[in-house]
Amino acid sequence: MSCMGRTVFIGLDGVPHGLLKRLADDGTMPHCRRLFEIGNLHCIASTIPDISSVAWSSIITGKNPAEHGIFGFVDIPINTYRISFPNYLSLKSKPFWEKSEGRSVILNVPSTFPVREMNGVHISGFVSLDLERSVYPPGLLSQVKALDYKVDVDAEKAHVSMDMFLSDLDKTLTARGKVCDHLWQHEKWDTFMIVFTGTDRLMHFLWDAYEDEEHWYYKAFRGHFSKVDAIVGSIIDRLNDNDILVMCSDHGMEHLDKNVYVNAILKEHGFLHYDPALKGGFANIDGRTKAFSLDPARIYLNKRGKFPRGCVAPNDEEKIIEDICELFQRYAVGGKAVCKAIYRKKEIFHGPFIDLAPDIVLIGNEGINLHSGLTAENTSEETIFSGKHTQHDAFLYVRGRDKCPSVKEGFNVSNIIGYIDSLKAERWR
Amino acid sequence: MTKTLDHLSRLENQSIFIIREAYSQFRNIAMLWSIGKDSTTLMWLVRKAFFGKVPFAVLHIDTGYKFKEIYDFRDTYAQQWGINLMVVKNDEAIAQGVCPKTGKFECCNQLKTEALKQTMDKYKFKALYLGIRRDEHGIRAKERVFSTRDEDFEWDYKNQSPELWDQYKTKATHEEHIRVHPLLGWTELDIWQYILRENIPIVSLYFAKQGRRYRSIGCETCCSPVASQADTVEKIVEELQTSTISERSGRAQDKESAYIMQKLRSLGYM
Ligand SMILES: [Zn+2]
Repeated sequence: MSCMGRTVFIGLDGVPHGLLKRLADDGTMPHCRRLFEIGNLHCIASTIPDISSVAWSSIITGKNPAEHGIFGFVDIPINTYRISFPNYLSLKSKPFWEKSEGRSVILNVPSTFPVREMNGVHISGFVSLDLERSVYPPGLLSQVKALDYKVDVDAEKAHVSMDMFLSDLDKTLTARGKVCDHLWQHEKWDTFMIVFTGTDRLMHFLWDAYEDEEHWYYKAFRGHFSKVDAIVGSIIDRLNDNDILVMCSDHGMEHLDKNVYVNAILKEHGFLHYDPALKGGFANIDGRTKAFSLDPARIYLNKRGKFPRGCVAPNDEEKIIEDICELFQRYAVGGKAVCKAIYRKKEIFHGPFIDLAPDIVLIGNEGINLHSGLTAENTSEETIFSGKHTQHDAFLYVRGRDKCPSVKEGFNVSNIIGYIDSLKAERWR
Repeated sequence: MTKTLDHLSRLENQSIFIIREAYSQFRNIAMLWSIGKDSTTLMWLVRKAFFGKVPFAVLHIDTGYKFKEIYDFRDTYAQQWGINLMVVKNDEAIAQGVCPKTGKFECCNQLKTEALKQTMDKYKFKALYLGIRRDEHGIRAKERVFSTRDEDFEWDYKNQSPELWDQYKTKATHEEHIRVHPLLGWTELDIWQYILRENIPIVSLYFAKQGRRYRSIGCETCCSPVASQADTVEKIVEELQTSTISERSGRAQDKESAYIMQKLRSLGYM
């Protein structure tokens, strides 16, 4: 073992700073509570947009989306109106484990499917198409399968039966804990990273069970967090004093009141034209369309030369962007503004892939979940989901109060890797 | 297999008990029939509870935007089962075009709530049977088997206790009515297993045609069909029991895309 110690990096997908603090305080997560007494818990920002694929890509590369090229779970490649699904192959910057010399174990980082050769062990996270392409080295596959591992809970189950979903969530977590344990014991590593993703799924479906003590699933909600906490506890019990321990989430979460459909609003105001009766989604966008949006709320101008039926000329771009920003600034549902913030491309993106970036990104107001499907016929709707992502209120935890560089205002998830590097440098000194 | 039957029989017994108990307490009670699988199952249980009869009015809220199959099914079985059917319409709202064909929760709720309110007032119904299930919606997880409604039909779950009949009776003043949920503990899978066991007739929209079927047909939930090959009750049960989307996924590019799309949708994206 090097005198520098190892690095352990634990991700809790979607877990808000506020919730984590509360569950540590109320006894749901005693191991986290113990950690918070010996380290610093910070409230940090997510990426824009605040979506797991973008945020985790920024976390593992330390880069802006226009540098790593991931802007969402879906994309429309230039010169098409075809939906594509960016994956690990689309990531245009190297993750930290491909830049460091040491050996890494990387377990369940979202948007790292399919795996590729690396120095260590890599088991990819959501969205994964099959286990075969999710495990590196391939020789480990049979062991992973033997431990009943699966990448993600079957969220489909929540739409059939909440009990079935919860039992699957629990099984998935148990298996993840076993694989974590196995890798910890049997692999040599300098960096160990694990992301727990069930937390995000649970909060999407049952945020109201977090807030309401009389909720049928109140105990089940806390039970899942306790179990995550127990696995975290088993990890910290095995740490050495000179190991670096960092924990973080990729975005925050809050109560969801309503889904608001960006494309329906663009359509309502004449920016978007398509026939909803036709199959094929975005392929039906017609030549009068000035702008369309991709999940969660990334608005792209339908630029001439960029898209097949693009009609927006370079001279008109500014005006249309202004009109759309103005529309969303005043747009309200039930008396409540739908946007908390509106960003133009240049304010938030920098890097070689800025041409692929959306022209505008909207951040939903409190309780407002912005969506960009094309099938919605109404501009807003109730939904069975009760939690939604937030751009604010993600967290970063670093063990050891001494020798920790400060976390500056405006710190976001893409700064974490740089921060860990500075921690290492600090300890090396 | 026996285990399943026992489980279903237990659910059946509980539901029938609740149905009979509510009827004996209120008499002036009605039932909401959406023609969907849940409320049709409820209808089946009611007929069992009262030996083939339905001794109270059955309300069908007609939003004017239902599928033809639903109307056909309703009329056929209303006649066959001798149901005292009351079709409830909020003509005013319909005239205003409140609810689109595939409209979801909010607009339809407005339509339904208003129409229902008018009818409950007009006939002075004291209570209403509904075929909702606890696992159906996040927002329903906190429902009780019996729940009081105030005048504005707001949830009032904090001011109720789950099983005290007497308390309910005294609480049921002029302003409110009691909602009775005999199927609250059932899951989607229970419903389909029971439909299979009892051979309950079901609207054809639930069965797959050209690789798609409706998982729910009411206006309250999403009306868009899901990818499925299940064209019989047996296959639907099997689909719910065993097939996760991962097992259905293949290797072809578009199948992979469809798989990812479905994964993302189930998490609320898209
Ligand atoms: Zn999420």
